[in-house]
Amino acid sequence: MEGKVGLGLRRDIAEEILESRTLTPDFLEFAPENWMGMGGAWKRVMDRAVEKFPITCHGLSLSLGSPEELDWKFIRELKGFLDENQVKIFSEHLSYTKSNNAHLYDLLPIPFRKDAVDHVVERIRKVQDMLERPLAIENVSYYTPVAAEMSEIEFVNQIVEGADCQLLLDVNNVYVNAFNHQYDAQEYISALPLDRVAYIHMAGHEQVEPDLIIDTHGQPIIDPVYELFEWTIAQMDPVPVLLERDYNFEDTDQIQSELLQIRALIKKHWRVEHESA
Amino acid sequence: MNLREETKEIQELLGEYCRTGEELELPGITPGRIQHYRRLVWNAVKDTLDTAFPITLAALGEDSWELLVSDFFATGLPQTPQVWKLPFEFYHYHANQETGKRLQLNYLDDLLLFEWMEIEVHTMPDRPFPDYVEKGNLFLDKLAFNPEHEIVQLEYPIHTHPVSQASGMKGDYFALLYRLPESGNVKFLALSALNTYILTRLMEANVPLNEIKGEFARIAGIESGRYLDDALEKFLSDLMERKLILGFQGQTATT
Repeated sequence: MEGKVGLGLRRDIAEEILESRTLTPDFLEFAPENWMGMGGAWKRVMDRAVEKFPITCHGLSLSLGSPEELDWKFIRELKGFLDENQVKIFSEHLSYTKSNNAHLYDLLPIPFRKDAVDHVVERIRKVQDMLERPLAIENVSYYTPVAAEMSEIEFVNQIVEGADCQLLLDVNNVYVNAFNHQYDAQEYISALPLDRVAYIHMAGHEQVEPDLIIDTHGQPIIDPVYELFEWTIAQMDPVPVLLERDYNFEDTDQIQSELLQIRALIKKHWRVEHESA
Repeated sequence: MNLREETKEIQELLGEYCRTGEELELPGITPGRIQHYRRLVWNAVKDTLDTAFPITLAALGEDSWELLVSDFFATGLPQTPQVWKLPFEFYHYHANQETGKRLQLNYLDDLLLFEWMEIEVHTMPDRPFPDYVEKGNLFLDKLAFNPEHEIVQLEYPIHTHPVSQASGMKGDYFALLYRLPESGNVKFLALSALNTYILTRLMEANVPLNEIKGEFARIAGIESGRYLDDALEKFLSDLMERKLILGFQGQTATT
């Protein structure tokens, strides 16, 4: 999987991918919550995907940063799903999606605080034990800090170190956060433990205000994000790279061109063969 | 728990703001940014429910519909980690709150249930199919039913009439929703009470029709003769065409 380029399996483009028409990823990523416990036509799509491609999974609802108790029933079901589908890498967001006993279905920012670090570290360790596999945690995009007592990079690094977990480096999120909070993206990446990066995400975003970008996964990747990606991979060993696209699937040629552009950059810096390049 | 009470409260306050949209004061935030979280969370929930309940949305109109979504999300405490199952919790919440009664929308529970059941039948885990052969006798052979179906009982015929008409037609209605084996698409069929009884009895008893058709005659208050046979044959042949009956469980002396 190292140096391979994947794409998120979304229902709108599932046939396009599975029939190898316009889109030719090396592997696929599922959000397990969107497929677990499902039968019928979508189960058949998933089965075909698993048969044809290596699979990674990117969780949405573990809510690692939540004040709530972990949902052990859900985690047990998740383990079954990951095992059944021979998932190579499992990642989750460094955020919370549940509070006051209610799921929120989006990623809220955890306060950058020492007690939150300790809380999240303990939870990641418990989840890794239960899942019997390492967890790669993603640096999420955020639009405001909340009651921070340390910097974002300190927060992320202390958690990765404390939990002894892997890192999913979302290059677009670094770009978005650097823009929104006015820091240097390369400095941020340089300060990360790059030897712990198991996986990279790339995506598009939308600038909604002069000083604010929202991480939408609905637009093409912009050049400065490609540049940051190229700079990043030159610093590290090969890992799988995923193109995230959640909306706007009309132009599959354009999505394929993004896959090819990521591949071309990888080829420049990593010694990797792509079967479907 | 490693979290300080203060950190926990801050996180809960942000979560509550995202659910209710009510103004809040949080320490250490960038002015003008926090509302994006409310917008993103709200859009995720509203888009999911809009997509799940297009008929209810159209029947109520955008403003009334939005009140239902807003009420549910503010106080309903969504429990599922899988957002596609949220419509089921939405239905349950409004049925328990008697929202339909309160808003004088007597058909509301039925409409939400029916729209949810279309999703449920489309996505429910695969059920084991029986072995079957295509040729057989409707009266002498055990029938092989498509196991991927549900029957729902409704008070208003929202599945066959526009809600403006259905709301004045209180009664006992039944709908059979089933998943087509090849495509996975969901179809539905309106059933009379008698046909619902016949169908469920045949499935439960798992015996050839001839063994229990006398029971159906007694319930229908008719003679067990040609008329009943014709009606049963028509009903069951229709179910075969619709792939709700797949075929026959095994060969008997039908020649």
